[in-house]
Amino acid sequence: MQSENLLHIQRASKTYSGVPALLDVDLELRAGEVHALMGENGAGKSTLIKILAGVTPPDSAEIHVRGERVHIASPQAAFDHGLRFIHQELHAVPQLSAAENIFLGHDYPTALGVKVRWRRLYDMARETLGRLGITHIDPRTTMAHLSPGDQMLVNIAHAFVGDDFTRAGERALIYVMDEPTAALTGAESAQLFDVIGRLRARGSAVLYVSHRMDEIFQIADRVTVLRDGQLAGTRDRASVTPAEIILLMTGRELTQLFPPRMGQIGAEVVLDVQGVTTAAVNGISFTVKAGEIVGVTGLAGSGMGALLRALIGADRRAAGRVMLDGVPLKRGSPAHAWDRQVAYVPEERRSQGLVLSHSVSNNITLPQLKRLSRAGALLAHGRERATTRELSESVRLKARGPRQIVRDLSGGNQQKVVFARALARPPKLLLLGEPTRGVDIGAKLDIYRLIRQISAQGTAIVLASTDLPELIGMTDRILILRAGRLADVVPSAGETPERLLSRCYGDAAYAG
Amino acid sequence: MLADRAQRSRPAVNWGRFLRSFGTLIGFLLIVVFFWSQRPATFMSVRNLLNITQQVSILGIVAFTMTVVMVVGDFDLSVGTMASLSGIIVGLMLQNDHALGTAILVALLAGAAGGILNGVLIAYVGILPFVATLATLTVFSGAASSLSGGRTIFGQVFPDGLVDFANGGIPLLTLNEQVVRIPHLTLIALIVLAVVWFVLEQTVFGRRLYAIGGNMEASRLAGVRVRFLRLLTFVITGLGASLAGVVLTSQLATANPTLGDGLMLNAIAAVFLGMTMSQEGEPRVLGTLVGVLLIGVLANGFTQVGVDTYVQRILTGVIIIASVTLSSISRRRS
Ligand SMILES: Nc1ncnc2c1ncn2[C@@H]1O[C@H](COP(=O)(O)OP(=O)(O)OP(=O)(O)O)[C@@H](O)[C@H]1O
Ligand SMILES: [Mg+2]
Repeated sequence: MQSENLLHIQRASKTYSGVPALLDVDLELRAGEVHALMGENGAGKSTLIKILAGVTPPDSAEIHVRGERVHIASPQAAFDHGLRFIHQELHAVPQLSAAENIFLGHDYPTALGVKVRWRRLYDMARETLGRLGITHIDPRTTMAHLSPGDQMLVNIAHAFVGDDFTRAGERALIYVMDEPTAALTGAESAQLFDVIGRLRARGSAVLYVSHRMDEIFQIADRVTVLRDGQLAGTRDRASVTPAEIILLMTGRELTQLFPPRMGQIGAEVVLDVQGVTTAAVNGISFTVKAGEIVGVTGLAGSGMGALLRALIGADRRAAGRVMLDGVPLKRGSPAHAWDRQVAYVPEERRSQGLVLSHSVSNNITLPQLKRLSRAGALLAHGRERATTRELSESVRLKARGPRQIVRDLSGGNQQKVVFARALARPPKLLLLGEPTRGVDIGAKLDIYRLIRQISAQGTAIVLASTDLPELIGMTDRILILRAGRLADVVPSAGETPERLLSRCYGDAAYAG
Repeated sequence: MLADRAQRSRPAVNWGRFLRSFGTLIGFLLIVVFFWSQRPATFMSVRNLLNITQQVSILGIVAFTMTVVMVVGDFDLSVGTMASLSGIIVGLMLQNDHALGTAILVALLAGAAGGILNGVLIAYVGILPFVATLATLTVFSGAASSLSGGRTIFGQVFPDGLVDFANGGIPLLTLNEQVVRIPHLTLIALIVLAVVWFVLEQTVFGRRLYAIGGNMEASRLAGVRVRFLRLLTFVITGLGASLAGVVLTSQLATANPTLGDGLMLNAIAAVFLGMTMSQEGEPRVLGTLVGVLLIGVLANGFTQVGVDTYVQRILTGVIIIASVTLSSISRRRS
């Protein structure tokens, strides 16, 4: 079947301060196809997408939409040409409601063109969310009060305003999605794939970026791979294997994603959690031994992120006790926890993890500044740079140097900075919230190896993740949270992602 | 081909960045050149330049320490009335025959205590800096008036040694048979500048303050004791304000319950002017120095050219707006 060419971008190039981020890239999107765009962190995927969106002016690019040469100089121009975007980084206004964020940049319904008809706006927002199968978000909620996953769902809904893809006969739009599932749970991703399926059936084209290989093989028709800003190749999904894609992306062959455990689980209990209760979790108890890796998962709103926040002391504990090596951790003081050699990777890198306007080095050394200083007070720039270099290398950070501003790194590389920082001093307890979110497959393997190494030194690790294969591959036991309570504990060996997902839902068939 | 592309994209980027970083500095130099051309004999003389540094020294002390709170993203409106209050404290204690050292110490302690009050309200109780320091502004002002009974203290109360010191300087060289001195006040301001620069740029404390200013929540989760550090920044501005009050009173040999009130606006303006010069738009104390000098040069130059004080204020305001606007426009472009 010869299908129509909806979008064609040719010779797209972009240089940042003399370093090319994108070099002569060609890409075409056909009607009715889901086209995956893959590549390592910093390969140029988001740069290409921002050029299409009219956000980043290219050095050169020739764009055809439906065979017609167009110039996309602004987001409005992209919109008018029928392009819709879900960007990697949230562009939400945290103080506004979910509904207002969904309709950001669109006209609000008004009475006489002046007074905003709020009830109508909320209804329209509810309807847009509903079309995507999202019913649990109240459109009146302030954006800042939503979980990162729910914020992403609002971000996704923004792209679907005014396009009722459930009806026939509407113009088929072009959708571009930059890692939409990175912050979603398995159930929410499944809903999005359902929507993508309907878009494809209607004759839309979808350009889809993800680092999750299983998703690509589930939904894509073709795969284009970028490497160091250049086109490495375009393949039909049907005639390619994951190994080939990885080889195209990285130039190296990956045999096994999850390295086996290196040491034994020790006898002594490092972390002892008894009845921990905060606003979001309720009466959680468990222990982690030296060298053990305990997984935590659940659906959106289950409290998995909140559990880590309770352990590091970010949220006030209303009840319960957290003991590290038999000595209680103070309530409400992350600083105290870091002093006691607890290290923490927050699940949301941009709002909770990074000082975006600061350098890579400043971000990596922040928790350990005092130990890296002279006399505990004076900055020791040499030592900071050395630590930064060493940690950057261990996670294969793609940055121009220790002084590059973190905001200018690609999403996956920002994530690596947050992870690297937790290793600046060997922790006794490592709390990981989505440590590989948005990280490419090669770097994931590096991170998993590092986790194994730390674990072999006797560190107790709690790994909260919605990446179910990752949980099964890396942990010893998995805690399943439902509505803030500990619902289930299962050994990881022999578990499958499907079984785990239904446990998250609380399906009777698998429980107990 | 690659190099070719790189070159095409470069000038545009650097021009914006150049304007952003050096716009205020260039504006400052243009203003200096303007006054120089208008009053070639007097404006650029060593004596006048040293004079300017003395005139801005008190503003400098307040603005340099104000920079510290603004690094964190807060600000302190109460510095002016705190300076007034400290002056009154010194005056009253001298009037009651306390030793000079004790008087100064008590004034500085009052500054620190005021800072703790501000810090507790803002960092621990969670009141917005604008609201909290507006309230303490009134409290300090009221305290100054009620302690002094609304009267001005002057005359014999202030020992000659103190007044001479505050108006004197260290001999530098002899020019046309007159001794040119570096004013003591200039030296005091320079010491404050050096201390603040060192603390902000070279210490763990300073780096953490900038981190809080960049992302408070991320800093807290990375183990920075955000509340305590915010409290400390207010103690630093409180100390700076009371030091300024002590110096001002000594220089004028007068303590008046509203003497220092005007310092606050100019100090904040100086920090803003400085912020236009830094890459990421954060306050840097050397930037604040340029802001302070700019305000000082404008005042001095306008007076020499014969512009009256009310018009001076208007022009100063316009120049500040122009500078901040220019930098925010060039920032938005990039
Ligand atoms: N504003 C900027 N200034 C300087 N360099 C930039 C800027 N934006 C992107 N880059 C650089 O361009 C390169 C490509 O970045 P891009 O965001 O396109 O990567 P990506 O393929 O989307 O990666 P990821 O999978 O991590 O999201 C990176 O090396 C990045 O550091
Ligand atoms: Mg990206």
